[in-house]
Amino acid sequence: MTTAQTQEEQALAALRERAVAELAAVTTGDGLEEWRTRYLGRERGELTGILKGLGKLAPDQRKAVGQAANAVKADLDRLLEERRQALRAAERAAALERERLDVTLPGRVIPRGHVHPLSQTIRDIVRVMGEMGFQLYDGPEVETDYYNFQALNIPPDHPARDMQDTFWIAPGQILLRTQTSPMQIHVMEHMRPPVRAIVIGKVYRNEAIDASHEAIFHQVEGLLIDETCTMADLRGVVERFAREMFGAERKVRFRPSYFPFTEPSAEFDIDCINCNGAGCRVCKYSGWLEMGGSGMVDPRVLRGVGYDPSVYRGFAFGLGIERIAMLRYGIDEIRAFSTNDLRFLRQFT
Amino acid sequence: MRVPYSWLKDYVDVELPVAELAHRLTMAGLEVDRVDYGWPGIVTAQILWQERIKGSDHLWATRVTTGTEELSVVCGAPNIQVRDKVPLARVGAKVGEITIGEKRAMGVLSQGMLCSPRELGLSDDHAGILILPPDTPLGVPLGAVIGEPVIDLDIKAHRGDLFCMVGVAREVAAFTGKTLRPPTIAVKEKGTAAAKLMKLEVRDAELCPRYTARVIRNVTVGPSPQWMADRLIAAGMRPINNVVDITNYVMLELGQPLHAFDYDKVADHTIVVRRAAPGETLTTLDGVTRHLTAEMLLITDPAGPNVIAGIFGGARVEVSETTTSVLLEAAHFKPTNIRRTSVTLGLRTESSGRFEKGPDVELTALAVDRAAQLLAELADGGVAPGRVDFYPHPVTQRALTFEPGQVPWLTGMTVTRNEVIDSLSALGFGVGDAVPGGADETLRVTVPTWRGDVEESADLVEEVARIAGYERIPSTIPTGPLPQPSRDPWFRREDRIREVLAGAGLTETVSYTLTSRAAMASLLPGVGGRDELLLAAPAPGMRADDAGETGDTASVAVSGRAAERRAIAALAERLPAIALVNPLSSELGVLRLTLMSGLLDIVRENAKHSDAGLWFFELGRRYLPTAELATGTGLADERHTLAIAMSGPLVQSWAAPDRDADFSGLKGVVETLLGALKVAGYRFTPTRHPTFHPGRAALLEVAIAHGGELTSEGGGGEIVESAWAPVAVLGEVHPDVAERFDLTKRTYLMEMDLERLYLAVPETVRQMPIARYPAAQRDLAVVVPQDVPAAEVEAAIHASGAPLVRGVRLFDVYTGAGIPEGRKSLAYAITYQSPERTLTDAEVERTQAAIVATLRERFGAEPRG
Ligand SMILES: [Zn+2]
Repeated sequence: MTTAQTQEEQALAALRERAVAELAAVTTGDGLEEWRTRYLGRERGELTGILKGLGKLAPDQRKAVGQAANAVKADLDRLLEERRQALRAAERAAALERERLDVTLPGRVIPRGHVHPLSQTIRDIVRVMGEMGFQLYDGPEVETDYYNFQALNIPPDHPARDMQDTFWIAPGQILLRTQTSPMQIHVMEHMRPPVRAIVIGKVYRNEAIDASHEAIFHQVEGLLIDETCTMADLRGVVERFAREMFGAERKVRFRPSYFPFTEPSAEFDIDCINCNGAGCRVCKYSGWLEMGGSGMVDPRVLRGVGYDPSVYRGFAFGLGIERIAMLRYGIDEIRAFSTNDLRFLRQFT
Repeated sequence: MRVPYSWLKDYVDVELPVAELAHRLTMAGLEVDRVDYGWPGIVTAQILWQERIKGSDHLWATRVTTGTEELSVVCGAPNIQVRDKVPLARVGAKVGEITIGEKRAMGVLSQGMLCSPRELGLSDDHAGILILPPDTPLGVPLGAVIGEPVIDLDIKAHRGDLFCMVGVAREVAAFTGKTLRPPTIAVKEKGTAAAKLMKLEVRDAELCPRYTARVIRNVTVGPSPQWMADRLIAAGMRPINNVVDITNYVMLELGQPLHAFDYDKVADHTIVVRRAAPGETLTTLDGVTRHLTAEMLLITDPAGPNVIAGIFGGARVEVSETTTSVLLEAAHFKPTNIRRTSVTLGLRTESSGRFEKGPDVELTALAVDRAAQLLAELADGGVAPGRVDFYPHPVTQRALTFEPGQVPWLTGMTVTRNEVIDSLSALGFGVGDAVPGGADETLRVTVPTWRGDVEESADLVEEVARIAGYERIPSTIPTGPLPQPSRDPWFRREDRIREVLAGAGLTETVSYTLTSRAAMASLLPGVGGRDELLLAAPAPGMRADDAGETGDTASVAVSGRAAERRAIAALAERLPAIALVNPLSSELGVLRLTLMSGLLDIVRENAKHSDAGLWFFELGRRYLPTAELATGTGLADERHTLAIAMSGPLVQSWAAPDRDADFSGLKGVVETLLGALKVAGYRFTPTRHPTFHPGRAALLEVAIAHGGELTSEGGGGEIVESAWAPVAVLGEVHPDVAERFDLTKRTYLMEMDLERLYLAVPETVRQMPIARYPAAQRDLAVVVPQDVPAAEVEAAIHASGAPLVRGVRLFDVYTGAGIPEGRKSLAYAITYQSPERTLTDAEVERTQAAIVATLRERFGAEPRG
């Protein structure tokens, strides 16, 4: 059925073709509006003109041309909307492109300081011991001979005094504590059993300073007194402590030793964290690392603070905090802790 | 103490490999420092290949293996063959006086040396290399194969009985279950009785409870036999002659120090043991003249002093080549007296070390007999019959009743009654039933005289436990009741401070608490301002003298560095620091009164290798003297303190401008901290302090409420009815001080007394309901004279706007165009709010107008814009 197109129909087709071509060339929002006004504008749009002129056509023609014109209008509306979307997308894309950053530039870091490795170690000790019910006590560093020595069963002229070269403030009377153990006496004088206490702090030894000896260093001391504890509990607590600090697989070894204020006394070692006991430079090829001293509180010490040693038993243990931190962080120079070099301190969280 | 293994074997049949024995000793409480195999650096090796070096008539190139490593060694000996096992001295080893190094001989590399018996000190044989048995393991220390291993023991001070071979052997016997075999002592005597040959007079039985002597005549002084010399060397002593060596040998064997006198040189053959006379002196064998006191005990004869008892002798009556008769002494001296004398004279000897530990008083007779026996055998001596023995109060053995149940009671370890009996018996304790017939478990234990350290039940528990082995102690967790909760939150607070300050970019330091007066005095350029607050209680006179004469003047009227140093030294002397009487050095001579000088040192040292921000804090103590400390009735005032130092830009980023540390940065850090600790009321006021820039220093005070509740809201100015306690000074370091500490950048410093601060820290936080009615915000800019403190303006806004002013925030401080000279503009954002209703605009405007009126009246303020 190839009826010749009417003049109007041909005009419509031409208009459509022209409009589509022009729309494709539009690149801006303004151009788009111009185009819309030209073809679809309510007042003067070309297509609007054709639609308005429908009334002049014969009724049979009017319907056909009206349908065709409406189809072209719907077509153009659709194309306009598509073009609008495309332009918007392109504009957004261009805008985003303009905002492109070099994401490899360093970020604006919020400055953060560092807690000293000894403090971090102390924090862990307080937590681990706290979980076992041990409470932290604080005590004087300037001490009396009585608390530092005599009450700990170290009378004047006792050879054990040689082991701890002492800084004196008033010779024979006032000194800088050589160990945290005098706090055992203070704590026991301060309360009645049960006692579960830890003390952490500075101690002082009049010794030449070198890579593994400091004149000022830190110790932790644990003390438990009640009516039921034994050396087995001491072992359990120390093992728990060592495994919390150095890893769940750690082996702990107790061997007899001597401290004037404990009886029986024991030193405890852990298997070397560097070689797991095989023997290496760190453990001097023994497979073990000496950690600290411990024992059951000597009955003479208990009597001294008014505890009846036939009723109360207790244990105490002590070790150096620098040593713990050195092993944990792989530090081989004890002076690193007191040098306060930012290049060292910065390595800790 | 050095224990040659072969010597030990004289007294106990122990067949354990030395490494195993060392482990067992350690686990029994005799800590082994190390096993010395001798010949350090010399190991066993095997010849793999050898070839004569071209152009040499006697040198061989060899290839040897240690089992794990192959080395080239040039060797001149003719006797080696492929597959021979030989001693190899590795690079670094010492052979005789030569230290082996890597070298080339005739162009051939040599990485060690193969050794002859003479080079190893084994014999004079130098004809060839020592060939080891074919079954010798490779790569092990030579000493472990052919040598005399020496066990080096670290004996604890309370076990004087272990400083000898027999003592160690007794322990080994106990933990191996073998029998102790002490030396057989039998003395053949002849001639005149000793009692007729000498006289003994002990004038101080307290300092000398026992003195035993023997006389041996016709001795031939000469070198000791080789076996004895070898043992002494292995044990660490130098052989001298047979007489002296025998005294040392017996000391090492039994633990009793002996002294040998030339009998013929002892005046009147009379030994007098007495205290030194005042002013008496003795020239000891080292040529030093010792000045003695009446506290010191001497061994003398009528001609004068011979020996400082138990410590060191003089030359006059010593044994020499010409000696023919010997007077042997074995005595017991009061240990504490020996120790005191030895400390006073600064004279520690092998002998004094042993006497200090209190050897067995019963040993003296045994020891002189043993030495007499050896002098007869090895020096042809004729032993005069009998001992001369001063022993007025023979020791009695201590007896203890012992409940075997004490072992599990204290250790948690299960042991049988028989184990208890066996281990104590093996150690020399006498063990029997406490009730004859063994009706109950209780034992009666007699303590051998050499075990003075065993005084009660707990001591016996340790003996049983260590012989049984501590590895038998089980591992349990304590099940007893927990103590009362502790109320002291200081650690939690300090940890909170760490967290906040590290979060603010500061790094924690831990520095020496010992310092010098001069270091601290450097903080004070001679100005005694009114606030030496944090430099302790000023020395007497310091405040009075200096405050009056210098007043507001900020610099010292001294010219030049030298004068300044003198001024500081003078000031340092007056610092009331607690001093050590025996410091390691003058730099570490006193306890610190402040943390500030230490922090400035840290800033300076770090500035040498960093141009970034140096922001530090330290939590630690200051040690202030007290009247009680001075009189010996109390201790120091140790105050928990926080110090901060900030210098340079913390942020160095392409994305933000560098901003050096400045006063408001420091103050902001402090305010952040106060906020985190919920300190409710505080104020900063301008202050003068000698350490700080006079125009850039503030005093921080906190409000300590009296009975009133402090709210958890931060901010200043709200507290009226409370006491203000000074807690900190902060500011820019005075340029004079900065110069003295070689600080190159402006540095900001604070020191805070935490114990006072904590008085203002609430224990708990109580929440306040969020306001239900909306807030209104108005800006207000006012122009005020330059010297009006912002804090006062802010306080006035709060006061005059009460109760509707809820918050005041200063958002701008401006001087310059549009503002008259000498004035500044302060711009505030003021928040108005009521807890009861929504405020009307009119209410807000009225209040703001009232504020403006007040500011105008108080400060001559003009609203701006
Ligand atoms: Zn290791």
